Amino acid sequence: MDIERITDKKRDYMEMLLLADPQESMIDRYLDQGEMYVLYDQGRAVTAAVVADLGGGKCELKNISTIPEEQRKGYGRYMIHFLCEHYSGRYDLMYVGTGNSPDTLGFYHACGFVNSHIVANFFVDNYEEPIYENGIRLTDMIYLKKKLDSELDVKKVVDLAVEAGRILLKNGAEIFRVEETMDRICKRFHVDYVDSFTLSHAIFITAEKGMNEVYTKVKNVPLSGAHLGIVTEVNALSREISAGKIGIDEAWEKLRAIEQIPPKKGYFQVLAAGVGSAAFGYLLGASVNESLVAFGIGCLLYFWVLFAKKLHMSKIIVNIVGGALITLLAVLALHVPALGVARLDGMIVGAIMPLVPGLAFTNAIRDIANSDFLSGTVRMIDALMVFVYIAIGVGTMLSIYNNMIGGITV
Amino acid sequence: MMGNVAANLICPFLGTVAFAVLFNVPRKYYLAGGLTGTAGWLAYIFILNFSSAAIASFVGAFVVVFISRMLTVRMKCPITVFLISGIFPLVPGAGVYYTAYYLVTDQIALAGERGLGALKIAFAIVLGIAFVVSIPREVFQGQYWRNRKTEKMRTGEKQ
Repeated sequence: MDIERITDKKRDYMEMLLLADPQESMIDRYLDQGEMYVLYDQGRAVTAAVVADLGGGKCELKNISTIPEEQRKGYGRYMIHFLCEHYSGRYDLMYVGTGNSPDTLGFYHACGFVNSHIVANFFVDNYEEPIYENGIRLTDMIYLKKKLDSELDVKKVVDLAVEAGRILLKNGAEIFRVEETMDRICKRFHVDYVDSFTLSHAIFITAEKGMNEVYTKVKNVPLSGAHLGIVTEVNALSREISAGKIGIDEAWEKLRAIEQIPPKKGYFQVLAAGVGSAAFGYLLGASVNESLVAFGIGCLLYFWVLFAKKLHMSKIIVNIVGGALITLLAVLALHVPALGVARLDGMIVGAIMPLVPGLAFTNAIRDIANSDFLSGTVRMIDALMVFVYIAIGVGTMLSIYNNMIGGITV
Repeated sequence: MMGNVAANLICPFLGTVAFAVLFNVPRKYYLAGGLTGTAGWLAYIFILNFSSAAIASFVGAFVVVFISRMLTVRMKCPITVFLISGIFPLVPGAGVYYTAYYLVTDQIALAGERGLGALKIAFAIVLGIAFVVSIPREVFQGQYWRNRKTEKMRTGEKQ
């Protein structure tokens, strides 16, 4: 059994639609604008349905019909269940109008619809021929309604929330932003009883569904590099979701697309590292020549960083070797008279900057300021360790040089 | 002198934007981020004239975070975008170098002094950030001040 959305040649199914609505001109009113779905069982069209947008978060099930020999076998109910779930992200309320016939009313009630309102003499005013059902002439249109949020799968919502949270956390968002985003998504899709706990590298979430069902999810998020562009995009997406602009399926698709946003091009990053090194080197007291050398060292350093990232090397290696590399290059530059550099410190201090864990450090502070002590501590240790690794790299290389030359001029 | 002024304006700007690139900040925030970093640096060197590096770092961090929070509300994006790269000029990267240098040259007293100095600066930045982060979010929204103004006018009328 599968359900397909029909976008063209809707009139091919007119025969089925006429079972529920006997006048073709009335069907024409909603067929083009409405969204049509057909349920196939073993390749045969069994049930057809048309849903129209009423605006303001409401939609109407305009037509649902099952071929006569397959009626009362649950196809219609399956279709309604599908539609309710499918539209729950986009609409809050689904209406359906029908004549005053106990069978159809009973069917809709069983599907979770409740009485809404009555349009008097609808069938008399709009239809050329009188319609009889079970020997009674239909006159008034009875509207029923159903709240769609109850259909939405708690699991699906929580999965979406955790995925958004994971992407945020992985790319360097603060703990409170992760929790706030997950909360926003759950609230928007009416998962109200939800509790989450976020650490710097894990998300725990449980949601209640009804009385006895609880859905729990644990997600491990390894500490990794930052991509603030992705954080910005997910943040914007969560705003759109909570404003009710997009449904759950669309949100999934967008989230997938956001995760694929590539980092800045390699040569651009290398260049940026060079510029950063030179600018900060100059600010911290390097001469113009030394800054220019720092530019070169920063670029070469970032070649190493990108190369190590590609091979998934650990932070220890990246930073110790990085620090050593900087010092080695600076020492070499000191011995090339043409470069006109006199001191080591400006070059090294500038070139260190691309390694400095500014993101981990700042996030650690923000987390601690928000009383997320555990995550803040972990991130702070992460940042401090990187400082230590850099110092080890620089220090080792300096002491080797020191022993060879027998003294450093600062 | 003029060269000095230019360097103090251009270098922090370039440096901050460079780090925004490394952190993959979207391009449209480069200018705002760069200016934030420059403002923080200017505050830092201004205060440095008559105070210690730690206090100057505190003021610098304060300025950076304050501007970042205002920009966040204005441009509707996470504060991290401006904050991380903007704080970079203040981060005591030099302290790390000098500590390592004095350690390997066996000048333990100087190493300790430099290391503690770096730690003090780091803590000053922590305080600067924590102070501004603790200001309630509403203060940074224009609506808050407009409401306050109308409220004041209303109470003023009553008197």
